[in-house]
Amino acid sequence: MSLKYGVLGLLKEQPLHGYEVKNRFEAMLGGTWEVNIGQIYTTLQRLERDGLVRPVGPRGDRGKLLYELSAEGQRALDEWLIQPDSGPQQLHEDIYVKLLLATRIANGNLQEMLARQKRTYLQRLRDLNRLEKRARSEGRVDLARLVRGALLHAEADLKWMDELSSERFEVEATE
Amino acid sequence: MNTELVRLTDVTKVYQGGITGALNGVSVTVEEGEFTAIMGPSGSGKSTMLNLVAGLDRPTSGSVFVRGTDLAKEGEAGLATFRRDHIGFVFQFFNLLPNLTALENVLLPAQLKGNTAKVRAGELLDRLGIAEVADRYPARLSGGQQQRVAMARALVNKPTLLLADEPTGALDTQSGEHVMDLVAQLHREGQTVLLVTHDAKLATRHAERVISVIDGRIVDDARLESPERAPSEVIRVRGEEAAR
Repeated sequence: MSLKYGVLGLLKEQPLHGYEVKNRFEAMLGGTWEVNIGQIYTTLQRLERDGLVRPVGPRGDRGKLLYELSAEGQRALDEWLIQPDSGPQQLHEDIYVKLLLATRIANGNLQEMLARQKRTYLQRLRDLNRLEKRARSEGRVDLARLVRGALLHAEADLKWMDELSSERFEVEATE
Repeated sequence: MNTELVRLTDVTKVYQGGITGALNGVSVTVEEGEFTAIMGPSGSGKSTMLNLVAGLDRPTSGSVFVRGTDLAKEGEAGLATFRRDHIGFVFQFFNLLPNLTALENVLLPAQLKGNTAKVRAGELLDRLGIAEVADRYPARLSGGQQQRVAMARALVNKPTLLLADEPTGALDTQSGEHVMDLVAQLHREGQTVLLVTHDAKLATRHAERVISVIDGRIVDDARLESPERAPSEVIRVRGEEAAR
């Protein structure tokens, strides 16, 4: 979803070709979201179909087409920008399903499973910390803010594992 | 190269009238030049570990060797000498003496006397960015400044081990980061550091080893890697295809 509006937002700044949209979008996200050019063209075509963007002038060199935001696109963008992010909480549930299955099937060593997971999260925190430091030293404030968000989420994941490892999963599962 | 500095063997610590902070069969070694974080919830025993290594407390059983000396066998005077010669300790609430100036606080434990000590203290204050407040009393210093004075005091005798117990716990985020950056810089110059914290972000930011303590036991001892990774390897913004 946010790719669509990301494209609209970039076109609000100025008319762009597909490749320019791709490059600017990736730069804006600090390299944390790579899109292929096919996705960009598909998105632009859908936006054109829905009347949110329109081509400017004829195709140029090598078939390059410049797009601009339409009045309707402008309205759609404005509306999206003021909407709070809502819907259910997104969660990486893999580890939770693993835990549930381990208690049912094998009565596996949950503490070891949790310990391995915690260690992975610690390494993730380390990687994120280093990325934040690098982003700040390179003056990439947007990326640093994004990494900060990821750090806080990773910290919460770690705390979740701590809580789970202090609970008695085995007992519940055998009832 | 890998010189063992600290060795705890089967250490237990029992406190009368409660189990908070007790240790139950802890064995661990720390090598020279390491930056190790000890993490755990409050009452887990992580501060107890640090106090034992510092010679501020004695184990109920087991042995605590630091630089080949068994601290459990030292008398009070021996421990005091050991602390003075080998330990720099930074506390959460700074523990500065209120009726001494910043400089006097730093000089208090200094072994070298007279001008040599003053020069060393001056260098440290300068390095920690607090030279201009050397003559102020702690009450007239911000939290971050007080902690930096405490760090200078901890470093004045060039300690073998720098121990820090929640050193940013009483500071705002920015002052805390400043203090930790200074600790990290010292580590890069070879200082062995043991940091106690409950903050995983802080621990992983600086330490390459994280020991987790729960209920008086070491439940994990993780050595972290520090590879250069591209942003997309570390963080991926969810990018589902617009399927309509």
